[in-house]
Amino acid sequence: MIDIDCLVAFRSGNRILDGVSLTVAEGTVTTLVGPSGGGKSTLLRCLNGLETFTAGSVTIVGHRFTAGPHSPRDLERVRRDVGMVFQQFNLFPHLSVIDNVTVAPRVVLGKPAVDARRKGLELLERVGLGRFAAARPATLSGGQQQRVAIARALAMEPRVMLFDEPTSALDPAMSAEVLDVVGELARGGQTMVIVTHDHGFARRAATQVVELIAGQVCRVGTAAEVLDESDKK
Amino acid sequence: MKPWRWSAPRGARGLASRALVAAVAWLVIALPGPGAELEAVIKRGELVWAADQEGGGPHVFLDPSDPTKLVGFEVELAALLAEELGVRARFQQGQWDRLPLLLDRSADCVINGIETTPERQRDWHCSRPYYAYSLQLVARRDAGPESVEALAAAGPGGRWRVGVLTGSAAENFLRERPGFEVDPIGYDGTVDCLEQLKGGVLDAAVMDDCIAQFNDDRFPGLRGAGRPFAGGTYTILTARETPRLSEAIDAALGRMIADGRLKTLYDRWDLSGRQQMFFLRHAAEIPAAAPQGLVELVSGTLPLLLSSAAMTILLACASFPLAILAGLAVAIGRLHGPLWLRPVLAGYVEILRGTPLLLQLYALFFLLPKVGLAMPALGAAIVGLALNYSAYESEIYRAGLKAVPWAQFEAALALGMTKWQSLRHVVVPQAVRIVMPPVTSDFIALFKDTSVCSAITVVELTKRYSVLALSTGRIAELAVITAVLYMAMSWPLSLLSRWFEQRLENRDKRPGC
Ligand SMILES: Nc1ncnc2c1ncn2[C@@H]1O[C@H](COP(=O)(O)OP(=O)(O)OP(=O)(O)O)[C@@H](O)[C@H]1O
Ligand SMILES: [Mg+2]
Repeated sequence: MIDIDCLVAFRSGNRILDGVSLTVAEGTVTTLVGPSGGGKSTLLRCLNGLETFTAGSVTIVGHRFTAGPHSPRDLERVRRDVGMVFQQFNLFPHLSVIDNVTVAPRVVLGKPAVDARRKGLELLERVGLGRFAAARPATLSGGQQQRVAIARALAMEPRVMLFDEPTSALDPAMSAEVLDVVGELARGGQTMVIVTHDHGFARRAATQVVELIAGQVCRVGTAAEVLDESDKK
Repeated sequence: MKPWRWSAPRGARGLASRALVAAVAWLVIALPGPGAELEAVIKRGELVWAADQEGGGPHVFLDPSDPTKLVGFEVELAALLAEELGVRARFQQGQWDRLPLLLDRSADCVINGIETTPERQRDWHCSRPYYAYSLQLVARRDAGPESVEALAAAGPGGRWRVGVLTGSAAENFLRERPGFEVDPIGYDGTVDCLEQLKGGVLDAAVMDDCIAQFNDDRFPGLRGAGRPFAGGTYTILTARETPRLSEAIDAALGRMIADGRLKTLYDRWDLSGRQQMFFLRHAAEIPAAAPQGLVELVSGTLPLLLSSAAMTILLACASFPLAILAGLAVAIGRLHGPLWLRPVLAGYVEILRGTPLLLQLYALFFLLPKVGLAMPALGAAIVGLALNYSAYESEIYRAGLKAVPWAQFEAALALGMTKWQSLRHVVVPQAVRIVMPPVTSDFIALFKDTSVCSAITVVELTKRYSVLALSTGRIAELAVITAVLYMAMSWPLSLLSRWFEQRLENRDKRPGC
């Protein structure tokens, strides 16, 4: 599903990614762990073209990105199939919760409003927020907002979901609400790449754990293999 | 979202210029100036006479062969008059329809084709007549009305559009004939008016016969349509407070008429000296009008002021949406458009912000017809206002677009939207909300800027006020009524904008269910 080959990326003259290679199989959950500044966000953002890179290649949902700028058409095609959830939620504040969820299917896929809404309400039910459909994002708690963001990404029926520290801005109770939803998705066979500092969650949900340090893959393996080693230190 | 602060409102500029005006006004008031009695004039050795060189020939105009020199039959008349009083003549420039106001401070008398009217008799001292005029209809050789009687029926293009000098007898003549199918359009100068007639913006013009004849050689494409009609006399205005000066001027005119000096002057200017003397020796006094009561004043002027207020509203409401659309397009183009387009748009903004609105309106109205792009005054006014404000709005929108966090754009892109879809559905709607307050305040500013359009013959509220104030002499009372009308228009706008702001804020915070 995802094949990262020897990825190198520079930012302001610093080598942020230093030859990262990684494979993600369909239906699995990969968690990226590692110290702050290790390049996890940069790697994730290279996967849906929010960042470009200097050398190497990324093959994702059947499309191959190479070094340098990507064409807008390629980007749009890949992004339809790759959902992303941000640390700061980034909901659209001027739209109601249901409109946040339906705007992309309507605009990008040209889905009729009625269908998009039915599907959107279904997704909101699934993340436990059916009764907040008409609310504005600003009126929701952080955990609720992040669950709306997940529903928003799912509305495009992506083949891969990317999460960049989805619970770092949340307190433990709200984190649990969000991780429940993510765990549910994992059980449903959704392919996911998740950046997280939450080792407990990684142990429960991850098929594969990747530790990224200073732009290099330091360890790859099951949660037990990677995390036991790194927790020892 | 971080709050976005807009730059200092443009009212600050207005404040500075107002302070300057106040300072100049103070200087003028503090210094002993003209507007003095006969003794002071003689002591000073100077008779200050006011006129408008823009009004044109044959009265007072710049010598085409030496543009530093003022010429015209009234320049010579003023010199003769000063000589009679034993002093020199000094010219004072003023806008024609406002010349009498200069009698307060800046001038001893006004000599500039001022027609004797009952209202002027009431408010100022009018000398004995020094010239007798008729009105003349002028049209293009190939089109237009055949005579003034033809104005009673609509022309081929609907109501006749007829140019006149603002505040002149010609304008009053047309306005006082409700049976005429005519839209009188006021100009500040004869040449502008005739240029527009030539360019096809006007169907005809009405002016004093001497002006029409004087300009005949300069506009070979135009013709006198029918015989001269109506008419009256020119008078020299002095302030009511200077009776001895007024008397001296009357006496001097009498001597100049009696001993033939005035006839010689008119003959030299080809103004039919003999015919003039025939009228001037026997010209009858026009009785002064009775002062109007406040109720009469209001009932007489309010309908006119209200209809002009409607024009102000039309100008603002037609031009501002255009300005917003253009401004938004320019802002988006500058931030997200192709690289080659960005400096072009930056130039567009700088040119429109860096030149006065008045100049832009002039260019649209007076210069475009010269390249065959005649636009009616109303169209030019709306386009001019829209262009000018689009530059300001684009800067506001640019700041608004930048104030929307980049993460919003990325979130939209990550969902598969194109750049334009992201702008259209995510970024622009948020930017529009952010800039609502400064945009509304600009709308109020534009409301007031519509008054500049009077320079290109559009009669809106301020213009109507100035015409009415001068013709009735009730400057203060009408100023209050006009100010109230402006407030009545802009105050609801302020309320509306505040309501808008609150509604947007509340909507984003509204609880669910
Ligand atoms: N545009 C940029 N310009 C300069 N440096 C950058 C830029 N983007 C990222 N970096 C640097 O690259 C490094 C890796 O950043 P990245 O955000 O990928 O790390 P991370 O592993 O996600 O860290 P964290 O856990 O703090 O989110 C950091 O040192 C960061 O300062
Ligand atoms: Mg990060």
